[in-house]
Amino acid sequence: MEEGDKMEIWSLITNILLWFGLYVIVSLSLNVEYGYCGIPNFGKALSVIVGAVVAGGLMTRILMVAMGVHGDIITGSSAVSGEVTTLVKSNPLYGIVLFLVYIILALIIGAVVGAVFILPSARLKEDYLAITLLAIAETFTMVCYYNPVIVGSYYGVSVPNLFAFIPASVRYQTIVGIILITAFVVYIVLERIVESPYGRLLRGVRENEDVMKAYGRNVMNIRIKTMALGSGIAAIAGVLLTFYTLRVQPDSFMNYGRTFWTFFPFLIILLGGAGNNRGVVLGSLIFATLWELVDFYKDNIVSALHLPVEAVWLEYILFGVLMLLILFYKPEGLIPEKPIVTEPIKRKKS
Amino acid sequence: MGVVEGALIYSNLLALLALGLTLTYMTTAVPNFAQGSFAVFGSYIALTLLRLFGIHPYKSLPIAFVLGGLLGAGSYLLILKPLIRRGANVVTLMIATLALDLILLGFRGIYAGILGKITRQPCEMFMFSYLVKPVFGVPDILLVSSLVIVLTLLGLFFLLYKTKFGIALRASVENPMLSEIMGVDVEKTRLFSWFLSGALASMAGVLLPFKQEIVPATAELVIVSIFASSIVGGLSSIAGAILGGYIVGMSESLITYYLSVVTGNAGLLVYGKVVSLVIIVVTLLVAPRGLAGIRWRKVIRWRSGR
Repeated sequence: MEEGDKMEIWSLITNILLWFGLYVIVSLSLNVEYGYCGIPNFGKALSVIVGAVVAGGLMTRILMVAMGVHGDIITGSSAVSGEVTTLVKSNPLYGIVLFLVYIILALIIGAVVGAVFILPSARLKEDYLAITLLAIAETFTMVCYYNPVIVGSYYGVSVPNLFAFIPASVRYQTIVGIILITAFVVYIVLERIVESPYGRLLRGVRENEDVMKAYGRNVMNIRIKTMALGSGIAAIAGVLLTFYTLRVQPDSFMNYGRTFWTFFPFLIILLGGAGNNRGVVLGSLIFATLWELVDFYKDNIVSALHLPVEAVWLEYILFGVLMLLILFYKPEGLIPEKPIVTEPIKRKKS
Repeated sequence: MGVVEGALIYSNLLALLALGLTLTYMTTAVPNFAQGSFAVFGSYIALTLLRLFGIHPYKSLPIAFVLGGLLGAGSYLLILKPLIRRGANVVTLMIATLALDLILLGFRGIYAGILGKITRQPCEMFMFSYLVKPVFGVPDILLVSSLVIVLTLLGLFFLLYKTKFGIALRASVENPMLSEIMGVDVEKTRLFSWFLSGALASMAGVLLPFKQEIVPATAELVIVSIFASSIVGGLSSIAGAILGGYIVGMSESLITYYLSVVTGNAGLLVYGKVVSLVIIVVTLLVAPRGLAGIRWRKVIRWRSGR
């Protein structure tokens, strides 16, 4: 194998792992909302975008104040990025502390936004719920796109490289590693939550609201809590994504937000199996691999078609059709949801 | 184009789109998330006929009606009908329309590229506003869009209340099972509603570029206004959808215009969708069943203090 080919294969694998990690986080969070609690969150993209806005807008402002940088956010963000990079190079500890601050802030703000996000529609039926969540997400995306104060509108903002102390040659691999570790932690935490009595409560709400109400549970309250949990986690993915790109570009929210962070997570969940975290991990892996393979061979595909086509449109059609095929032929996914086995049942069986 | 004229044109188109969305919701009980893409489909029909054959967009309305109708009917036959037959729930159906929307978005991108190559003009973004001519002191697009909605309503009224098929259609919306027992072919009424929905959306799409630029994100953005109009109208009322279209269309344009004049900040004009969102949220909180669900007699009695 040629040296160049080897490099390409490696970059293909790291790309797959990058998207795998990010999609595991977002899809697992959606799985809690949709797969377990039955909330059709068609505005999932909102929480990822909120994460990006926390990193690009809020944290940049906080750092601007802390460092005494004046001016608007577009110029301020590049000044802050430069200063933080030198600071982190001098002492890696700053980078690690700042990283944790970003993540925790995104978690908190994502959770608050998620809880507020569902308030107008928490009592409503699925169709109204889905419409409202989608409308809120689309509107917020549009406001981010037009308003230069939030994250710089057309120009976008820079995000500091918190891992500047790591050599530039392995920066990318480090970020991918961090994303994979975060995804693993999210998996463990969510697995604990859904296996707890609270997880069974969520499934109860999904299966029959009225019965849960009859048992004295407040369905609206459960929905709000679940959305807070799911949105907080998805916001972390938004922050991690900005650490990879080192920029926040609102026009990419506008063009790709709903497809990438609402539609694809739904595709992953339905592919792997709703209400089942292992299935979601498998679904993310399949999706990320497919996506990257199409991307890898896109030049060959496009030239084979003899059409002036951008690969992204082909990918949209491909994944749209894949979704329909899943809905038609395998709605329960590759790994169907298993019946609940609580401790007493296990003891009885053995 | 004046502010009020622009608002009226936009409202006319929104009413058409909301009417289509409401029709399919009434018969199949699924909100169609691809309604915005149905409209953009019509815009591209008009663009193709204009650029390749020099046909004025107004003259392409009948063609767009038929092709859009076929798109709507095809979507129902190929996607929704098989899923409903498999007993899919409403969330599955909604996800299917999201998938349809994405597929149409992909085809739009490819088609825009091919059309751009043939005509040697960019087709990713376009407007027809340069074609607008004044007639009797108002822009002709205002007259045409008003004419389209009036004819649509007359046709729909005639169909629903003066024909046997219309009675069957209304019956199958009211009670699908009972009307099936009475020999009504519910399938046919569903298929018809999807045909009409696609056709109306496509016509609105032909006229939309006269008012605003078509960009790749148009379908995603306009869907917010369409849903707002239908929700204000109660999602299952034809009159409500029309009224909702005008309420949302006028508020989006006029409220942002008023705010931009008062604050002196023209940048506020782009936030029309925020108004739509506020309308959705207020409707859901105050009257979740929309205008059609409010008991107006009670409200009037309460207002007059009796």
